[in-house]
Amino acid sequence: MLNLLVLTILFSTPLILAAMGGFTSERGGVINIGLEGMMLMAACVGALASAKYGAVGELVAGILAATVMSLLHWLMTQVYHVDHVISGMALNAVAAGGTNFLYLKLSDPAHGSDLPHIPITAFCVIAFVTPFVIWLYSRQTRGGLRLQSVGSDPDKARLMGIQPVRVRFFGLLVTGLLTGIAGVELVAYTGVFTDNMTSGRGYIALAALIVGGWRPIPTFLACFAFGFFSALRLQLQGTPLFGAQLPSQLWAALPYLVTVIALAGLIGKNRTPAGLGKP
Amino acid sequence: MIWRLVAMIAGACAILAGAVLVAHESPIQSLQTLFHGSLGTPAAIAGTLREATPLLICGLAVFIALRAGLFNIGVEGQLLVGACACAVVAIRFPGTPGMILGVIAGMAAGALWALPAGLIKAYRNGHEVITTIMLNNVALFFTGALVSGPIKDKTQADTATPYVAASSRMPWVYQTPTVQVNFSLVLGVLLAVGLALWLKKTVAGYELQAVGSNRVAARFAGISPQKVTMLAMTISGSLGGLAGAVQVLAYEGRFYDGFSPGYGFDALGVALLAGGSAYGVLPSSLLFGILSKGGTALQIDGVPKGITTVVLGMLILIAAAIRYRKVTTDA
Repeated sequence: MLNLLVLTILFSTPLILAAMGGFTSERGGVINIGLEGMMLMAACVGALASAKYGAVGELVAGILAATVMSLLHWLMTQVYHVDHVISGMALNAVAAGGTNFLYLKLSDPAHGSDLPHIPITAFCVIAFVTPFVIWLYSRQTRGGLRLQSVGSDPDKARLMGIQPVRVRFFGLLVTGLLTGIAGVELVAYTGVFTDNMTSGRGYIALAALIVGGWRPIPTFLACFAFGFFSALRLQLQGTPLFGAQLPSQLWAALPYLVTVIALAGLIGKNRTPAGLGKP
Repeated sequence: MIWRLVAMIAGACAILAGAVLVAHESPIQSLQTLFHGSLGTPAAIAGTLREATPLLICGLAVFIALRAGLFNIGVEGQLLVGACACAVVAIRFPGTPGMILGVIAGMAAGALWALPAGLIKAYRNGHEVITTIMLNNVALFFTGALVSGPIKDKTQADTATPYVAASSRMPWVYQTPTVQVNFSLVLGVLLAVGLALWLKKTVAGYELQAVGSNRVAARFAGISPQKVTMLAMTISGSLGGLAGAVQVLAYEGRFYDGFSPGYGFDALGVALLAGGSAYGVLPSSLLFGILSKGGTALQIDGVPKGITTVVLGMLILIAAAIRYRKVTTDA
């Protein structure tokens, strides 16, 4: 039982970080499919930097890499007015191919999996504190309210003298920071970088954001629930259900299936930020 | 259409050369390898066309959804279930009926797999991008479970179904010992033409594009966006399933674990580069075929295959930036 709780916390940590990164971007009106790519890029660059500059260097490099990606997303969507989903998918493609290329070219095979990392506990603490900080920030500070106003109605925000482009810049800066931490956490957890190691966590985080109605605390709970189902899968794998041995693949599909069902059933009230995807 | 292809190939070469340069390789030589591997010999051209076939049909699947304003990222999953269903059915019925029934089964499975995403989008307003990506993962594990259990060929070691009888395979339209061109390519081209005409000449096609360009205006004009969303997702899903079925019947001959190397995801790029017309899918799928085939040649040469994905991503970004810039300055 305790095992299950620990696993749940471990699995939900990257989801929470990525979902909070998604919050600062989507609440400001920028659809961010690229969370996946940002995490992946951070994981790869972090792993490469870890071999040279140690654990702190890993974190810094990962955050920088994710920030570059997220600012590229800002540039594309806000300056060049590219469709947000297209830009995000393109960034994911660049990250998927780029990390494969970079890692094969630059990694040092002598190092193996004994790279220095920041302890996982630190990441878990950050992940479980962040939602509350973001909640306070978005409710109680001028910057947070501006972010919400830009996401809800960019035209009215403009009339009030707020520049959406500028507010979203800072929103995406935070997205880069948080997805960077999430990506580095993945490497710290598994020890090495592998191709496509995020395996859809960015999308699950986005689904959690939708299920949570773009609110920090419900989103946090949704991430925790998804983490729980991932942990449950590891616990239940191999145990017979209704007297039949289920193939392991069906358990592996469980978190994704839960996401679809959650999206189908749980969105009672439409809480989508009204300015999502608008210039 | 031709200048579009030329511009895209030139852009792809430039980005690729830049990226290869970063990795301390010779860009000229890499480009040479790429083009020799994809267009240099008749056999290489046939290989490129073979790669382009699923990309063409999947590209059409993404394209039709895109015209209705939907991002169907689930083509990958629809292709997998389509291929799986087609293999299961085609094995049962030898001869031409197997081929026809296999295609029908594949299309039905693909459409069925796209259905939840369409329903959730139309009636619950859940974003189709998330649901389709989740369904991709479910499809991957689901078909994986099937092919390693109930439908596995027990006589073999690999996790695959038995082979489809040669009599129910798709015929070759041109065949020499080195070069083979399959009927499926013709089918893909016919589909592109058919879709372009359907979008342009029929009421349903017009309604689909109306919803895609302005949902609210379409509703005021008496079009039901829900119905159009369902229709677009169904067509898109069945095309994705068809791509899988064709892949089984024309080239692979069976379904196995790890069936698709990501055709569904590449198809997204194909459709985005195609622009506003179904005919545009033809050159862009060819470009992707060249990059994919040439990328394999590069990989043998020691350059990681990921580089071609980077090039595709950058191409999509640049093409989209140019297109949207034009739209915003016109308006």
